[in-house]
Amino acid sequence: MALNLRIDPFSPRRSTFYLEGRLDAMSFGQFDQEAEKLLQQMDVGSTLVLDLSALDYISSAGLRSIAKARKAMRARDGHTLLVNPQAQVRKVFDIVKAVPVKEIFQNLRELDEYLDRIQRKIANEGEELE
Amino acid sequence: MPLRSLAWRLAVWVLAGATLVFVASGYLLFRMVGQQVLQQAQRESGAWASQGSSLVQERLDNITNTARVLASIIGPRPLDAKPLIHDAMAGNPDLAGLAAAFVPGRPAAREAGQSPFVGRQSDGSLAMRDLAKDAQPYWNTAWFQRGLACSQGCWHEVFRSQSRHRLLVSYSSSMQADGAAIGVVNADVTLDWLQGILQSMQLPAGAHAFVIDQQGMYLANDTMERVGKKADNTLLDLLNAPSLKGHANAHELDQQGAHVWIYDEPINGTQWKLAVAVPEELIYAQVRDAFVAVLVLGALTLLILGLIVMVTIRRTLAPLGVLAERAEQVSRGALDFALPRVRRHDEIGRLTHAFDKMRRELAAHLEELTRFAREQARLASELDIAQQIQTALLPGPHYLDARCHNFELYAALKPARSVGGDLYSYFMLPSQRFCFMVGDVADKGIPAALFMARTITLAKAMASHAQSPQQLLQLINQELCRNNDNCMFVTLLCGFLDVVTGHMTLASAGHDPPVLWGNHAPTWLPVTSGPALGLDEDAAFPVLRTRLRPGDTLLVYTDGVTEAANEALEHYGGERLLARLGQFQQSGDPTQFLAEDVESYAAGYGQSDDIALLALRWNHVGLEDETSMLDLAFPATLEKVFDALDHCEKRLHDAGIRSGLRDDVRLVLEELMVNMVHHGCSGNPAGCIGLRMMILEEAVLVELNHEGAPFDPLQFGAPALTGDLADRNDDGGLGLHLVRAMSSELNYTHDEYGNHLQLRFANPTEHGHGT
Repeated sequence: MALNLRIDPFSPRRSTFYLEGRLDAMSFGQFDQEAEKLLQQMDVGSTLVLDLSALDYISSAGLRSIAKARKAMRARDGHTLLVNPQAQVRKVFDIVKAVPVKEIFQNLRELDEYLDRIQRKIANEGEELE
Repeated sequence: MPLRSLAWRLAVWVLAGATLVFVASGYLLFRMVGQQVLQQAQRESGAWASQGSSLVQERLDNITNTARVLASIIGPRPLDAKPLIHDAMAGNPDLAGLAAAFVPGRPAAREAGQSPFVGRQSDGSLAMRDLAKDAQPYWNTAWFQRGLACSQGCWHEVFRSQSRHRLLVSYSSSMQADGAAIGVVNADVTLDWLQGILQSMQLPAGAHAFVIDQQGMYLANDTMERVGKKADNTLLDLLNAPSLKGHANAHELDQQGAHVWIYDEPINGTQWKLAVAVPEELIYAQVRDAFVAVLVLGALTLLILGLIVMVTIRRTLAPLGVLAERAEQVSRGALDFALPRVRRHDEIGRLTHAFDKMRRELAAHLEELTRFAREQARLASELDIAQQIQTALLPGPHYLDARCHNFELYAALKPARSVGGDLYSYFMLPSQRFCFMVGDVADKGIPAALFMARTITLAKAMASHAQSPQQLLQLINQELCRNNDNCMFVTLLCGFLDVVTGHMTLASAGHDPPVLWGNHAPTWLPVTSGPALGLDEDAAFPVLRTRLRPGDTLLVYTDGVTEAANEALEHYGGERLLARLGQFQQSGDPTQFLAEDVESYAAGYGQSDDIALLALRWNHVGLEDETSMLDLAFPATLEKVFDALDHCEKRLHDAGIRSGLRDDVRLVLEELMVNMVHHGCSGNPAGCIGLRMMILEEAVLVELNHEGAPFDPLQFGAPALTGDLADRNDDGGLGLHLVRAMSSELNYTHDEYGNHLQLRFANPTEHGHGT
């Protein structure tokens, strides 16, 4: 079972990258390519959501690819949020402490609440500035 | 026990010898002296007779001379007769009476006018009378008639004087005038006087003297009553008989049972005889006295000798008695006592000195012996404890692979002494490996046992660090080489058995090759041996890899088996070992069978070397489900690696392994194999990576072999984890960190075949069990 990638939905402010299958030494190149294309279209300060609900397996090569993508987003002042990692993936993440816990969400609802909170925060800051 | 003492016996023998010599010499002396004494006594007795005779004769001569002189004087002058006689009587006290009797009628008689007689009264006064006036005319008496005839004088017979009431004897001598006898001078002496002479002889008591006249009348006798009486005829006959031979005047008279010797001697001038009667016992009395004297003296001497001997011997031998008593004490074990003081340095003094020295040395020796015995006992008990400890070092003699009954192990150890240098050991290692070993320390006894203990402990401690027997041997070797100045060494055969597959790796350090049989006749496994452990620090040990087939039995033994000797000093030998194993039934304990066979073979000579035996029988049950096994070899490319990963995944899935574990296995294998791909291949490219996987009930075992440069995935520490991989500048070490985290066990070894990784993944059951 190889890796399937899908971007749904896409917007320069906030895109969701949907991963399915295995992200390993064999398939990480494919992910790198797709991610690079997507990142170029993202705005500065945008948010990338990686939906891991269908990712069965990840190895150290996959970890490195995700880290690379997050680095790139950080360079654009953006955020990378991970949602719904499966057991194996979660375990691997835990072992190597790959991602700050606050950037991992158990499901889409948690993610939405988080994003709403950020949004409000930004809006409030805007009002205060005005 | 005084009668048994040496002193007593010595005294008795000395006294007995002295008594014998004394008696013998006394007897001889007595024989010689006794004869002389007897002769002397007889001579003396004879002398008494002649002495007495002479004495009597002398006194009588006095009488006769007086009478004769008077006769010759009175003859011519008869007138003077009276005063002459009176004067003569007064001047000679021996005389009892004196008379001058004239023949009547003759001129002389007339001239004289009387025949005077002077008699001595009993009060000693002299009384004179005229014989011519006696009532009885004297000229008719016998004495007068005979006196006239005796011009030369003669003695008359005994008569009793009526006037004086005494026995008298008289001597007469005739007076001559003109050639004719004119009268007689008669002198009387009393027999009492004669008796007095005899008594003046002072004869010894018992002897008595007597004078006998020609008629056999006693004139004098020590026995007064007999005086004047006639002697008995026996005596007279004896005296008239010729005297005894050798004794001039001796006669032997047997008188009423008493022997009396009589010595007689004639008295000159008379016809009388003087005899001395000496009882024989008086004669022998001297001899007897001498005998008694000798006897008494001898007895006294013996007594004194005895006393001196006793005292001397007792004094001299007293220390000997004490020594004997002390020697008995020594035999009872007492050594502390006082010894007699040494007075002189004679044999007993030397003996005492030697005894004292012996006693002291014995005491010292005993003390040393006691100490030695205590030491021995302590050593023996220590040896006992050592044996228990050594036995405790060994695992049991029978081991059955309890989980899957794949193999069964028998072992036996028989030290030649209490403790020995042979060893066997076995234990489970991680990753379903079973380690077994048999070794033989050079030398025997306690040093060997200590070295054996060191070896067996080291082996156990090192085994978890070793991935192969050769590596274990190397590790033990390096440890044993350290400070091994005595150059002790141990031969060791070590094997690792994969308890699931029956794959076995053997390495030998100077040990005899093991025997394998079961599916074929017993044969030696050609294990190439390295040097014995403890000698060469850099030694390497080749390995032999083989796979046991069901029914195979592997026997590892020490040279105590093959070098056991019988009475003829012939060794048991390897050929006999193979032959015996060929006869052995498959079931049962081959080590016991072999040990008993060796023992009966060497019964005549005895066990001279330690014996260790270890037999491993491969049953191979419980496995052989081919689906649970995977054995792959492929080139080092990513595609092949992922093909293999898929293979594994499918096999794990088929085996019903849950997905979490499947993913763990996949992740670990991917990380490791991708690493191997990156490190490249140095050997056969087609089979660069070898993967063998076994799926057991409670675990998944994987062995990865990589023919490449040495690379130990365990050498790296845990990477620095910040909590965000995106913060890291380097991205190395993550994979190996995952490998370590995911696998339950991970072992790495490297040998000439490359890198070997052994992995184990625990598969917890639903009940939560598993390792």
